[in-house]
Amino acid sequence: MKGIPTVLITVSPEVSAQMRPPRALYPYGFKNGNSLGKPGMRDLQKTVLREALSLLTVDTRPGSIVTRDFPEYGEYHEPPRVRK
Amino acid sequence: MTISRKCVPFTPFEGELAKSTIAIVTAGGVHRKDQEPFNIADELGDLGYRVFAQDVKAADLKVTHHHYDHSDADKDINVVFPIDVLRDLQAEGFIRDVARKHIGYMGYTMQLKAMYEGTAREIANEIDKGSRADAVVLTGG
Repeated sequence: MKGIPTVLITVSPEVSAQMRPPRALYPYGFKNGNSLGKPGMRDLQKTVLREALSLLTVDTRPGSIVTRDFPEYGEYHEPPRVRK
Repeated sequence: MTISRKCVPFTPFEGELAKSTIAIVTAGGVHRKDQEPFNIADELGDLGYRVFAQDVKAADLKVTHHHYDHSDADKDINVVFPIDVLRDLQAEGFIRDVARKHIGYMGYTMQLKAMYEGTAREIANEIDKGSRADAVVLTGG
């Protein structure tokens, strides 16, 4: 196996960062259980998935998480924090 | 193969999305309704995973996971497992194809070593063999 490129969509950026994912997208303020958005919001879900897949084609910093704002989500939820 | 915890296991993506086949691997506890549910009674978690075919129907999937609120996924599985969304992106030409295999597992486990050295590799091998995926989208809950 030569390896498989991956991109992670995470709503727990602090938690995910501990595993240093090669590419990751944090949709800002999305709550746990809403990685792609809310039920039935297909346009938003498509936008999030397009944005995540696009991280495969740009220079990201492996191990870091890219934050993007999707205002159409319409809510902000505090992500889980890592206990120090 | 030894995976170092100190370096990022980065695999370059060499290609174009419009010519690529994409698989989804979710830690959101997604499984087909006719597959064995994940074991939420075991405090150590469940190290298993479930494989879905290319043509799996969203309506045939459900979530068994007790560490996040999956009430929205119960209404629309695409919020954690975007299989119909991926099909839409294929239809509009953003990607070439939906992979022949996708995977659900329950990310919650206290058996981290077994997850890291066992399940994670088994999932990678599963995708490597027969999915035809050029890249994988990972989701949590």
